[in-house]
Amino acid sequence: MLQCIFLLSDSGEVMLEKQLTGHRVDRSICDWFWEQTVSQADSTKLPPVIASPTHYIFQITREGITFLACTQVEMPPLMGIEFLCRVADVLSDYLGGLNEDVIKDNFVIVYELLDEMIDNGFPLTTEPNILREMIAPPNIVSKVLGVMTGNSSNVSNTLPGATASCVPWRSTEPKHANNEVYVDLLEEMDAVINRDGILVKCEIYGEVEVNSHLSGLPDLTLSFANPSILNDVRFHPCVRFRPWESNNILSFVPPDGQFKLMSYRVKKLKSTPIYVKPQLTSDAGTCRLSVLVGIRNDPGKTIDSVTVQFQLLPCILSANLSSNHGTVSILANKTCSWSIGRIPKDKAPSLSGTLTLETGMERLHVFPTFQVGFRIMGVALSGLQIDTLDIKNLPSRPYKGFRALTQAGQYEVRS
Amino acid sequence: MFPQFGATAETLSKASTLVFRIGTDAHLYDDPEDANIAPLLDSKFDSEKCEALKRLLALIAQGVDVSNFFPQVVKNVASQSLEVKKLVYLYLLHYAEKRPNEALLSINCFQKDLGDPNPLVRAWALRAMAGIRLLVIAPIVLVAVEKCARDPSVYVRKCAANALPKLHDLRIEENTPALEEIVGILLNDHSPGVVGAAAAAFTSVCPNNLSLIGRNYRRLCEALPDVEEWGQILLIEILLRFVIAKHGLVQESIMFQSCCTESSQSEKDGSDVNSAFEEDNGDTGCDFMSELVNMVSRCYIEGPDEYLSRLSYINEVSSGLDRSCFMSGRSNDDVKMLLQCTSPLLWSHNSAVVLAAAGVHWIMAPREDVKRIVKPLLFLLRSSHASKYVVLCNIQVFAKAMPFFFAPHFEDFFICSSESYQIKALKLEILSSIAMDSSISSIFQEFQDYIRDPDRRFAADTVAAIGLCAQRLPKVANICLEGLLALTREEYLIGDFVCMDEETNILIQAIMSIEAILKQDPPAHEKVIVQLVRSLDSIKVPAARAIIIWIIGEYNTIGEIIPRMLTTVLTYLARCFASEAQETKLQILNTAVKVLLCAKGKDLWTFKSVLSYVLELAKCDLNYDVRDRAHILKELMSCYLGQDLEEETDCLPRKDIPQILAECIFRGQRKPMSPEPINFRFYLPGSLSQIVLHAAPGYEPLPKPCSLLSNDLHQRLNVVGSGEGATNSDSYETDDPDRLSQSANEESTSGYSSQNSISGSSGSDVPGSESEDDDNVDPLIRFSDVGISNKKQNGVSRSGSDSMEELMSKQTLESWLDEQPSLSDPNLSKQSQVRRSSARISIGDIGGRVKPKIYGLLDPTNGNGLRVNYSFSSEISSMSPQLVCVELIFENCSAESMSKVLLVDEESNKGLDSADQSLVATER
Repeated sequence: MLQCIFLLSDSGEVMLEKQLTGHRVDRSICDWFWEQTVSQADSTKLPPVIASPTHYIFQITREGITFLACTQVEMPPLMGIEFLCRVADVLSDYLGGLNEDVIKDNFVIVYELLDEMIDNGFPLTTEPNILREMIAPPNIVSKVLGVMTGNSSNVSNTLPGATASCVPWRSTEPKHANNEVYVDLLEEMDAVINRDGILVKCEIYGEVEVNSHLSGLPDLTLSFANPSILNDVRFHPCVRFRPWESNNILSFVPPDGQFKLMSYRVKKLKSTPIYVKPQLTSDAGTCRLSVLVGIRNDPGKTIDSVTVQFQLLPCILSANLSSNHGTVSILANKTCSWSIGRIPKDKAPSLSGTLTLETGMERLHVFPTFQVGFRIMGVALSGLQIDTLDIKNLPSRPYKGFRALTQAGQYEVRS
Repeated sequence: MFPQFGATAETLSKASTLVFRIGTDAHLYDDPEDANIAPLLDSKFDSEKCEALKRLLALIAQGVDVSNFFPQVVKNVASQSLEVKKLVYLYLLHYAEKRPNEALLSINCFQKDLGDPNPLVRAWALRAMAGIRLLVIAPIVLVAVEKCARDPSVYVRKCAANALPKLHDLRIEENTPALEEIVGILLNDHSPGVVGAAAAAFTSVCPNNLSLIGRNYRRLCEALPDVEEWGQILLIEILLRFVIAKHGLVQESIMFQSCCTESSQSEKDGSDVNSAFEEDNGDTGCDFMSELVNMVSRCYIEGPDEYLSRLSYINEVSSGLDRSCFMSGRSNDDVKMLLQCTSPLLWSHNSAVVLAAAGVHWIMAPREDVKRIVKPLLFLLRSSHASKYVVLCNIQVFAKAMPFFFAPHFEDFFICSSESYQIKALKLEILSSIAMDSSISSIFQEFQDYIRDPDRRFAADTVAAIGLCAQRLPKVANICLEGLLALTREEYLIGDFVCMDEETNILIQAIMSIEAILKQDPPAHEKVIVQLVRSLDSIKVPAARAIIIWIIGEYNTIGEIIPRMLTTVLTYLARCFASEAQETKLQILNTAVKVLLCAKGKDLWTFKSVLSYVLELAKCDLNYDVRDRAHILKELMSCYLGQDLEEETDCLPRKDIPQILAECIFRGQRKPMSPEPINFRFYLPGSLSQIVLHAAPGYEPLPKPCSLLSNDLHQRLNVVGSGEGATNSDSYETDDPDRLSQSANEESTSGYSSQNSISGSSGSDVPGSESEDDDNVDPLIRFSDVGISNKKQNGVSRSGSDSMEELMSKQTLESWLDEQPSLSDPNLSKQSQVRRSSARISIGDIGGRVKPKIYGLLDPTNGNGLRVNYSFSSEISSMSPQLVCVELIFENCSAESMSKVLLVDEESNKGLDSADQSLVATER
């Protein structure tokens, strides 16, 4: 079981330490870890499970903060990693993002949360809704009140009723003036286009996000018009397995507030909404680059925030790039970023320019990969459609809202 | 500023400093010591106490030792404010072990709180009380846990379950039965939340007491989907272990298939058990595969260390897995139930649960059903980066053993440039092991892109993967060779201008891949060799040249064209010899000799002159390796070089020793490569050991199939911890008190339990006087002790042991329970017969039955611990000239006394002439 959790800032400073068992872990392990990180130039390059001379370390990095946990005995490594991810989720939910300052500013809350989330190295309460009831998140009202009265307790005096109920994810009997439930389909498109311009892989990773504000103990049933296209699925614990197994229907008692009902994958899609065609020709020490972007398959809605990014190779000395639409910038870490925004109707955006190669190098033999980003509101590119959402056990008719959004995930074009 | 709210001066200053970070605790973290903490702690206002405690917490967070406030903080445990309580508990748990006496002051308060009507207060009190871990209060805590295990609140019962491992950690033997009973009660709880926590308690308190599970098996299976995700992870594993211990493995599963082939083959061979190497000789891909699966299943059950050592050294031990270990999964309800209740968990949103459930199906499910784990596993790859790595490590094993399952999904292993290098490397390895004739063309298409990737290390790995694919699928060998050859030509262009390390690595890797493919069927690829030789002039990288030159020498007799080229090539090599790098020079020498040995007819004279020319050059080389090689070769080849052409014919009959040697060394027919000796280590899917590839402390293979039926009683004994000895591995591992703190770099002892281990008691060793050793023990290793408290105990005579006991702290004494250093002189005679002699020498303190206590070796975190210095002494062992004396000096740098130092020599898996020693010494 986990023996200790450390939170490290992006400069390697130990911001917080929480010992979990009697086998204390000295914080010098963090120095060891940071040495490794520095030697690798980047903590994301270190494997998430490391055998240090004294401990096994699990580590994840979120927005510059490294969450580090140690153990000395056999335990499922994914349990450690998943738990750290959960801690990171809860913290960023509580603190509205993660960074060094916000953690230091709210270190008491972080301690209280950690203490509640894990006991003796084994996770105790990890359900965000329950945690919210036990430890109040910092918000403006409580802050101001705290300043004025000097009394700022954020620890609840009573045990949330949900810990005893058979739906431990739902706080007991919440009351809402307006009963409403929103279902969002958030999709990410992963695609790989190889050097020959062939679509090697194109798939959608999607999540059904539900935001429910319903009183009492409602029972929801969600069905899709075309569940057969779903290749893989994973569910929130609230989803009952049987109805899905037999009829592909999602039946559940929702937690109160925002949660991820399910995630799914639709594989083997045939086309992408936009095309990106990079071309590199190199000769005699210079390289001509041109990138064309355009709409291939109009999804019917506007394609927003289109970006193209690529890493300038180390062998490139200088770059002179210009575009007929959007802005081109070269960032400090030699990343070239071209943000296009919306693709105009009348012309195809293009980026062109020359790259100067290292002296002595005639032509390029390695080629960068272009990462593409875009956003389409109102469309789920997988084609998944919500058929019905039935709500039982609710006195008044609630408001139901549906939305969809598709973004680029790992969308890569090789050149 | 806020007079109307009656603000004090303090809140005013607070407000003014916090214009930007209103209401947060930022100022406390930045400047924890800007207020005087002590008086605040004694304040009668909760808010001031809170502030003081927060300041202390900030100091703890920053790594400052503030344990000196302990007495004042403890007083506040009686506070009615829950926030103060919580903060006090946080502080208390951090320092309780450092200040045990003061911590005792809080006990009364906890006991009062345990009777509180608020379940939250009860739960916190129990958590804090169990968390301070004092031996003295263990009985009180036990009573409290017993009470809370029957509490009406689910939350309190859950905390009671979590308190059990804390109590168990104190290692008080007489508590064990009580703890197990509570585990039983909690496992029987009707709330799934409690069951999950109870499963965690079971894993740490009594993982081998599977009879506890037997009572509730069905209920646990039914409750499994409702248990909290974290509990599910552990419960799945417990249920799996139970089913295997009770019913054995499943006939229809993957694990069975392999064992069946083995037993049938062993019948055929007429031997009891054939080693894997024997079986390998009749190799085909399929055999290799089933061999691999067989290994996997053996490793799961026996633990890889034990399995591998048995495999390589002892053939007489019969295999534990015969048909009696198997039962039909279709007719067995327990198995069906396990599979049924774990299969929906493959949809869990917690990747650890999915992997655990997949592990069960992998081991227990009928062959045709195992496929259902494939898609959920692949879907896990889309979760966080960190879990992706762990999942890939596990898929790698599955894919190696059962490539057919993953073969249709090869596209999932295509690589994104944004992934980390480890993930890329894993994916490449998986791709090369699941490539099939149908998918290989798409995979190669991808590989071509990867070779152009800016990450050159990854590109080199891709080249290696191409070689692996070609070896697995001989059909594509030709395409691969063409591609690789084209690459060598291309990379040359690059390598010439930009002589970067990474580029040369790719070139070397390409040549190595070619060489590996050639090895499989040299005659078929004659043209490739010719082309390689032609490109010799353009390839400048020494390592690559060396390999090509080796290829020339190795295959100089093959085909039609190569023998005709040899004269030209050799003259070319001789001409550029002087300008070559060292490794290339060595290969040129070798090749010249090989060619000469195989040569016939008119070329012989040319070859001779070439060889003597390069030998002359080499003799004057700057590098002594080259010079040495030249001298040796000159001696070996003297008869060839000295002879005249006419004498050549009678050369054969009167071979002298150098000649035979030369023939042996350079013309020795290469044995067909047996598939690389399989010594992969497989650990249970989803375990930490599988990721770090060594047995982590506390790792246990699956229980012996069907062991539960016969030895329920035995189980009992194990748990109580009696009968511990070298022969009883289970209890040895699990009841080991300080196994938890064993340092990671120490190998687990699990491998040693059933080897012929010899427990003996040796006499006291005096440094440097080996002959004084007790006569019935082989002095494989000599010890010497530094440190006053570490005076060695003579195992036989009890001299001094009484006085030593007084020196020991009470605490250590209490944990030193129940180990009988076994004196097994009869065993000693075996030692000389067994090649792998693994000696466990207990230099025992005979006084008590002692439990092994293991300390981290030279714990770098605090610098105290056991320091070990070792040196190889030049004197020859009196036992055998083949043994080497190692002098180990143990130094106890910590304040406590140490005992049961375990010394394990792992290196000798190769087993040449080094004896294996595992050595347990009890010393003080």
